[in-house]
Amino acid sequence: MRLGILGVALGLIGMAAPVVAHHGFDTEYDAKKRVKLAGTVTEVAWTNPHMRVYIDVAGPDGKVTNWNMELTSPNSIRRQGWGPNDLKKGDKVVFEGFGGLVVESRGSLMYIAKAETPDKPLFTQGGPDGQQAPLPTP
Amino acid sequence: MGSRLLSRLRNVLAAVVLASAGVAAQGGVTLTREGGVAFINPGSPVVSESEAASRPVPRLPDGTIDLTGPWVGGGAIQDIEANGGLKPGELPLLPWARELRDKRRSQDDPYTVCLPMSVLRTNPYPWTFAMSYTSRGLSHVYKLNELGDAGNHRVIYMDGRTHPPKDEWVPNWLGHSIGRFEGDTLVVDTVGFNDKWWFDRRGTPHTGQLHVSERYTRVNYGTLRLNATVEDPGALSRPVNLTFTARLLRPDARTGAGDIMEFICHENNQYGSAGQFQPGTGRGN
Repeated sequence: MRLGILGVALGLIGMAAPVVAHHGFDTEYDAKKRVKLAGTVTEVAWTNPHMRVYIDVAGPDGKVTNWNMELTSPNSIRRQGWGPNDLKKGDKVVFEGFGGLVVESRGSLMYIAKAETPDKPLFTQGGPDGQQAPLPTP
Repeated sequence: MGSRLLSRLRNVLAAVVLASAGVAAQGGVTLTREGGVAFINPGSPVVSESEAASRPVPRLPDGTIDLTGPWVGGGAIQDIEANGGLKPGELPLLPWARELRDKRRSQDDPYTVCLPMSVLRTNPYPWTFAMSYTSRGLSHVYKLNELGDAGNHRVIYMDGRTHPPKDEWVPNWLGHSIGRFEGDTLVVDTVGFNDKWWFDRRGTPHTGQLHVSERYTRVNYGTLRLNATVEDPGALSRPVNLTFTARLLRPDARTGAGDIMEFICHENNQYGSAGQFQPGTGRGN
């Protein structure tokens, strides 16, 4: 439960991130390429300038694609309470995001949750309309 | 679901709402109006407004006002004109500079490839003044940005020296800064910039003739005000005054998040790879 709360909180902070983070959203990502997928985490990269979560996703033909999903900076995420034990390699997850303008599997992460608790996000992020995104009632 | 966590979430929600509405209008400074944890920009938690206003302003053993911080905000992010308190069109850019600003694209911002932000610019991450004392007193003030100056440090000479002659100075990213205290206000005068960095993500340009005077005043425990005068006969038709506000980062001894944290910008900067473009050229491609 604690993780869920922090995850939601973290994600809502991220809603404004496209304005103030290292770079904007629409230079890299395509708002029309909304994806909702399930897979297995292969790496949680606490790297600068931005964190990335890599996720293996099997397509309808069984071919596995490793998605490279961008978050915000690890310092910012740490300051919001997310720690190194909250998501790990091997975790089964569901996630949503936006595909890259050119390389679709390089995406912007908008939502990620453990597969067994898909309605309890570990992280949500606003995407292209982050500033104007409607906020859920706490 | 504990009440503390619910309260925290509520505060964060409020911060996000305010941030969404006010980043551009308030120089990047936005705060929740509720008690508890306040966030700025958002991304870095700062001390509450009540704590900021009620606690005494600290001083160093020699009586000098303590400007250390760490601070969050206090500069331009998206648009120096709006963030500095001006109305649209009030920044007196010369026609060529206005045209260049309008032509620039954010992905060409040198900052996106981890080059310095330079003066009067900030981001959601903390920065600090670090004061260096020698046997002759305060000799240097260093301005350290957690993120944004590419690991570089800005030096402010406090030993009474003057700027070097123009023909002996190689223009650089952070310029040559000399400082002094006027009462409790730190006054910093800087010249000697190159023209490679941008004032903001919008792409507001400057030239090597840029001269910036900054006045930093800690108006209360948690608030630092920056009043700046910007002169640049190469890009501006007249000098202009700008005002920014920074807030004190919330202490957090457990994780280190209440201090300047490690940030190695070049570690894994993949910006541009999803869009297959070359970022940070500064040329507007």
